[in-house]
Amino acid sequence: MSDQSLRAAADQAQADNAHDDERLRDDTWWYGPVAMVAFLAFWEVAVYLADIPELYLPRPSVIAVTLYDLFAHKGLLYDMMLTLYRIFGGFFLAAFVGIALGIAMGTSKRIHATFDIFISAIYPVPKISLVPLLVIWLGSGNIFQIVLSALGCVFPILVNTIIGVKQCDEGLILAARDLGATRSQIQRKIVLPAAVPAIFGGLRLALGISIILIVAAEMQTAKYGLGARLQLAGQILETGQVFAILLLLAIIGILLTKGQNQLDRLISRWRTN
Amino acid sequence: MVAASMQFEQIAVDKVSHRWLSKTRKPTTALAQTTCEFAAGKITALVGPSGCGKSTLLLIMRGLLQPSSGAVKFMYGDGSGKLQPGPAPGMATVWQSFNLLPWRTVIDNVAFGLELAGVAKEERHARAAEAIRSVELGGFEKHYPSQLSGGMRQRVGLARGLVMMPDILFLDEPFGALDAQTRLYLQEQLAAVVEKSGKTVILVTHSIEEAIFLSDTVLVMTARPGRVAARLDIDLPRPRGFDMQNDPRFGELFNEIYGLLRDEVRKSMLTA
Repeated sequence: MSDQSLRAAADQAQADNAHDDERLRDDTWWYGPVAMVAFLAFWEVAVYLADIPELYLPRPSVIAVTLYDLFAHKGLLYDMMLTLYRIFGGFFLAAFVGIALGIAMGTSKRIHATFDIFISAIYPVPKISLVPLLVIWLGSGNIFQIVLSALGCVFPILVNTIIGVKQCDEGLILAARDLGATRSQIQRKIVLPAAVPAIFGGLRLALGISIILIVAAEMQTAKYGLGARLQLAGQILETGQVFAILLLLAIIGILLTKGQNQLDRLISRWRTN
Repeated sequence: MVAASMQFEQIAVDKVSHRWLSKTRKPTTALAQTTCEFAAGKITALVGPSGCGKSTLLLIMRGLLQPSSGAVKFMYGDGSGKLQPGPAPGMATVWQSFNLLPWRTVIDNVAFGLELAGVAKEERHARAAEAIRSVELGGFEKHYPSQLSGGMRQRVGLARGLVMMPDILFLDEPFGALDAQTRLYLQEQLAAVVEKSGKTVILVTHSIEEAIFLSDTVLVMTARPGRVAARLDIDLPRPRGFDMQNDPRFGELFNEIYGLLRDEVRKSMLTA
């Protein structure tokens, strides 16, 4: 090849590299929000035109104002913080127990053989059916709420952790032993990180379960909290407040899911390509 | 006791047998009373039909698998010809499936062994970076394994072993998962790295060409249960280039080894 053609090839290569910052973009991100706005607009207009009484179906704008009013003048912030405290209290308690026990069960045949029958026995029991018993034991305060939520959350975390630990690539453990890893180093540096995606799957399910259980239990037994406020609003036919609290729960759900997605992406950077 | 003046001279495999147990199937005898030696400072290849137990033997020699019976000894001598067993020298393994930790970057993978040994971060990164350059992967330190090609991943695997400065390097089908061109190129690169290093290298492979190209001695194993059936010295000059395959001696050795293996491969296909 002549000097000139070499130079031309080099220039071409440089030109190709000039677009090195190009990335695939997600161009559907706005579909969901736009669909939601369209839906709310339809709701607003349809209720107005059909003249449906507020008792049955308030307009979105009325719901938004009601929600603001609840926060500004009726102390809803306290209830929301209380509910979040219970949701996360149960969730973190379950995460601690579930991950620790899951790693022990996934790595030790004896521990697995001992505890497996208890899990099979308790897992299928609907947790909400434990409410009477737990209230007898723990009263109807925060501890009861947190324990109830933890009972519901612990199983998806535990089962996923066991699966994650068990499916750890034997080759990675061999390689670590070859490089001189001790038993505890293998647990900390191979088995646990290898199980992280599965554990995250369990945590994701668990947080949803915690929200469901806490709100349901609050509706049955609590004086404060979003579930209690929801129940009360329904009893006195404050449909606007019912919708406002439902809207708040929906927003909390969206934020928590998005937060988990971000955390997931951060932790599993190595899987994206 | 091994005196300080004594030198590591060979790995002695003494009547090693191994049976793999299974929950659902009858036990498989992978190795039956295998006895052989691997000379220190030499490259020895183990070839044999698939399933003959050569990888099992490698795991046992490396100390990662307890044999059902028999023992592997590391023999030391003072030059007088008398040998006595001694402590295991430093060892490292390169795996067919690479076995890199997918959540660690290249440099953290290569530094993993040093990290386990408690080497401080700065030193282990410096040593890992040097090992990465020695396998021509400079610039890829911050990449994850999933972002690399198979050939590059195996070079990371090689660097991860070399950074431990082992006396014995075990290679378990190191190029088995790679395409033919990558394989040829890496064989050359590996030859260049280990030929002058004076390391003891044990290479498990099912490629006869690879065994001849890289090693000083080839051990041919029988079909399962595996034993060492023959031992051939590869008397081709070094350094060896890829054109070595045109050497008439290369063809002779190939035919000789293939002749020994042919019947064993047939047997292994009939019993599998």
